[in-house]
Amino acid sequence: MNIITALIPLSPLLGFLSIGLYYKSMSPKFSGIIASGAVLISFILSVLVFAEIWSTRTPFTVNLLNWITYENIQIPFEFYIDQLSAIMLLVVTGVGFLIHVYSIGYMHHDAGFNRFFAYMNLFVFSMLLLVMGANYLVMFIGWEGVGLCSYLLIGFWFKTSEYNDAAKKAFIMNRIGDLGFLLGMFLILQTFGSLSFAEVFSQAANYTGSTGVILAITLLLFVGAMGKSAQIPLYTWLPDAMAGPTPVSALIHAATMVTAGVYMVARSNILYVLAPESLMFIAVIGIATAIFAATIAIYQNDIKKVLAYSTVSQLGYMFLALGVGAFTGAVFHLVTHAFFKALLFLGAGSVIHALHGEQDIRKMGGLKSKLKHTYLVFIIATIAISGLPPFSGFFSKDEILAHAFAFSPVLWGIALIGALLTAFYMFRLVFLTFFSTFRGTEKQMKEMHESPNVMMIPLMVLAILSIVGGFIGIPEFMGGSHALNAFLAPVFEAGTKIIHAENHALSHSAEWALTGLTTLLVIVSITFAWFRFVRSHKVPASDSTKLNSLEKTLENKYFIDEIYDAIFVKPMMKLSRFFHEWFDIKIIDRFVDEIGKGVMLAGDKIRLLQTGTTGFYLIAMVFSIIGILWYFVLNQ
Amino acid sequence: MNTIIILTILAIVVLLLGISSKKQWLVPAIFIGLLLALVGNFLPQLLPASKTVHMLSVDSISKPFTSLMLVLTFLIFLIADHYFVVKKKTVEDVYAIILFSLIGAVILTMFTNMVMFFIGLEIMSVSLYILAGSKKTSSRSNEAAMKYFLMGTFSTGVLLLGITLIYGATGSFDLAQIGTLISSGNVMPSYLKAGILLLTIGVLFKIGAVPFHFWVPDVYHGAPTLITTYMATVVKIAGVVAFYRLYSQSFMGAKDMWTTLMAVMAVATIFVGNLSALHQDRVKRMLAYSSIAHTGYLMLALVAFDHKSVSYLFYYMVAYSVATIGVFSTLMLVRENIKEGTYSMFEGLAKRNSFLSFGMAVSLISLTGLPPLAGFMAKYLVFVQAINEGYLWLTIAAIIGTAISVVYYFRIIVAMYMKTPSDVKITLTTRSRVLLSLFILLTIALGVYPDMILNLCWCGM
Repeated sequence: MNIITALIPLSPLLGFLSIGLYYKSMSPKFSGIIASGAVLISFILSVLVFAEIWSTRTPFTVNLLNWITYENIQIPFEFYIDQLSAIMLLVVTGVGFLIHVYSIGYMHHDAGFNRFFAYMNLFVFSMLLLVMGANYLVMFIGWEGVGLCSYLLIGFWFKTSEYNDAAKKAFIMNRIGDLGFLLGMFLILQTFGSLSFAEVFSQAANYTGSTGVILAITLLLFVGAMGKSAQIPLYTWLPDAMAGPTPVSALIHAATMVTAGVYMVARSNILYVLAPESLMFIAVIGIATAIFAATIAIYQNDIKKVLAYSTVSQLGYMFLALGVGAFTGAVFHLVTHAFFKALLFLGAGSVIHALHGEQDIRKMGGLKSKLKHTYLVFIIATIAISGLPPFSGFFSKDEILAHAFAFSPVLWGIALIGALLTAFYMFRLVFLTFFSTFRGTEKQMKEMHESPNVMMIPLMVLAILSIVGGFIGIPEFMGGSHALNAFLAPVFEAGTKIIHAENHALSHSAEWALTGLTTLLVIVSITFAWFRFVRSHKVPASDSTKLNSLEKTLENKYFIDEIYDAIFVKPMMKLSRFFHEWFDIKIIDRFVDEIGKGVMLAGDKIRLLQTGTTGFYLIAMVFSIIGILWYFVLNQ
Repeated sequence: MNTIIILTILAIVVLLLGISSKKQWLVPAIFIGLLLALVGNFLPQLLPASKTVHMLSVDSISKPFTSLMLVLTFLIFLIADHYFVVKKKTVEDVYAIILFSLIGAVILTMFTNMVMFFIGLEIMSVSLYILAGSKKTSSRSNEAAMKYFLMGTFSTGVLLLGITLIYGATGSFDLAQIGTLISSGNVMPSYLKAGILLLTIGVLFKIGAVPFHFWVPDVYHGAPTLITTYMATVVKIAGVVAFYRLYSQSFMGAKDMWTTLMAVMAVATIFVGNLSALHQDRVKRMLAYSSIAHTGYLMLALVAFDHKSVSYLFYYMVAYSVATIGVFSTLMLVRENIKEGTYSMFEGLAKRNSFLSFGMAVSLISLTGLPPLAGFMAKYLVFVQAINEGYLWLTIAAIIGTAISVVYYFRIIVAMYMKTPSDVKITLTTRSRVLLSLFILLTIALGVYPDMILNLCWCGM
């Protein structure tokens, strides 16, 4: 099992190396197959590992090497496989594989095909390190690795400077988060003397010291999660990240990387439980992000932007779940979200592909007759994300809402509004894209075509998963056994033990009532969207029309980008220009240059010692010998 | 002991093969012989120390260093084969002399007696004088040989005088006996001090420390590049090990005296080496000065002496030798296509052959000592050791020297990656590719996981 586990990340790494080293000479077909094959191998191995965990239910550690040893600090390079990481492995490699296959079709015109697949494999490798690491440092390597790949892939079409800006924005925002993660890591090392999960968590379970330290650790780690998982206030990079190719958005910015923060908090659940204030903070940030992003999504006209804000919003739900102590709920939603959001992105990719790069939903419409299969899978995903039974999103979202209600009905109320908004903007997207009549050009109409099989098959698989994915967690009140909950229980055991002492569980009838109410309201919301966009053929106004101030605020995403720009970016630029012109050029550069000149001059003089004349050499040596003997022998 | 016997037989076989018509067996014979010697190094010795009147000892110091030298010679022959095929020469004499000088170098890792020390040193040096002049048609090569010979014999005289004075004072050639006498606490007569100093100077000459370094640039530059590679790696290792053996076994009692001398000379060596390298136009000459600078860093490890320094020395030698062979082999490959020896031959190499230039860049960065490569770890270990032993100012000097070295190493990297290429394409043979990959992998692997070597040096040897 050890070797199998070690091979899981190795396979995409080898894929990356072989494509990366020969990306100039390798034929595109070949590199696509290598990249997908590498991830497929990882997937198969992950299934084996999962089966092992499923049957034994005992976590295991794979020690690759003793990496850092310094005084009494030991940081081995280890993998830790338990129920949580086994599930993450399946999601990362499974969804990753489907998206790789899809990309073969989606990217096949692109000149950077091989480069794309090299990055994608590197990403999968880093993501696997992130979820498999047995300590925070290995996790951090993965954490940084996925950040790098995200940067490279957002700026994949680097000839457009806007895309590069988006890539930089993502990178810098993530750096801010990473700083928090790093500091949190240092504090953990300081407090517990170790970074290993096993060691830290077992110590934390019996922790009696000051809670202030734990609070600081958890908040710092959560800053990292905010950056990576795009939560307020570090979320603005994610919508911009849509500059990357669509499969990238699906894999990195929907299914896997952005959920890293959720995974990390769930992994550290015991620490968070010890600091209820930071759990509360997470819940507040989560719900705020969920509702905030949902309102923005209503007024976006770019198909991918809508999905991006939807992702931010859904991630908010996951953090809400974590905040109210529903760790299983968060992981459950993470899994189902990976299915339907990847499907939505890939479906959107299929639409964009069909329309030769068109992304504005105001210029679409009526596509359902032309793109029958895409329409079918897209509507499945939309139903799933809206939370209609029995699709996957229904179960996971419902679980979060139920826990939120148990925690505080106010939170539940806001979350419910968010869910209704979700249903609304998602169906708005579907209706504007697939219903009514086509609003694009004649040429687009004529050339429109359904995507090839290599793209459609992954979509179908994801569609099936979006439908049935929720069955892994049918709640007890519906007569299910919640297999996921039972499976993950040991991971969250220590954490939930402390929380459940405080929270009271809901009765079955209350849960039925909540579910019924939510479903009913969602249907109302969808109907409303239908009336607005299908019956009365309303199309969002073009950019030139005047909007009222609320609409304008929403369409411009609350002007957050502009505010950040004014508060942080511009003053920073000014300061940096000042330092550059005055301090850097006039003082530091000058200083360094003078030193350099001095050294070069010294070199010029000293080199003259080497005259080339043997006689001189010998005399110099003789005098040196005399000098040494005089100093050490005669002088003492 | 086994190694010396096998190598001697091998060298004679090589000479005989040279006379016969079976020249195609030459290179395979050498490879097999070197492998046998390597195996023999670890087998039980045919002649135990008692049979050699305690002249030689195969121990935990000699084994790793001998193995390193054998492996390096093996690699050099892998390059040599190609090098001499291109240069079309009769090679058996050169090959045999390289092997003879290797025997001298091996003896330098094993001696326990001044006589064997001197014999080993001379076997090595005399062979080198010839090797330096082995490019008979080149006046520069001849000049190098002549200069090397003149200065080498001069230093041999100094060294012999040192041994004589030590013998006069202690009445013994045996290292252990000399050691007990010197550390017995009696006041040392001044002629014994003079003897130790003269001996030190003799050895410092061989490893090219300032101010006894004058031969290095001229000889490294004039000798055929392959021989320069051999001198910069195997010969330097032999010198350093000999130094370690002499001082750890005999002169610990006089530690204060020679460490002061060494410390001053280490600083001088680091600065003269690095500063002179700045203004060189010819790459080979620059590398000669770089080699002097590295001698300086190694002297730092010798000054900061304790039981751990031998493993650090070994690690340093491995890192340095791998990077040096990498650089020199690239130099030779590039020189095949472009005759001039200045920096300009590397211009645009990244476009002409990206793999070659990558290998070169990795080796150069390792020589500079930047993480995560082996060269960084080597310097780090040595510097930390020096600081722990109280030589802070020495370490600061060494770090300044390292900072200066960035300039000349990166001149090549800048030329490779940022200058416009000439249109000469360079194609590599499979063997060169494999070798280069090996150098690159080793340099990275050792840097990331130094314990691989550091533990090796002590366990089971």
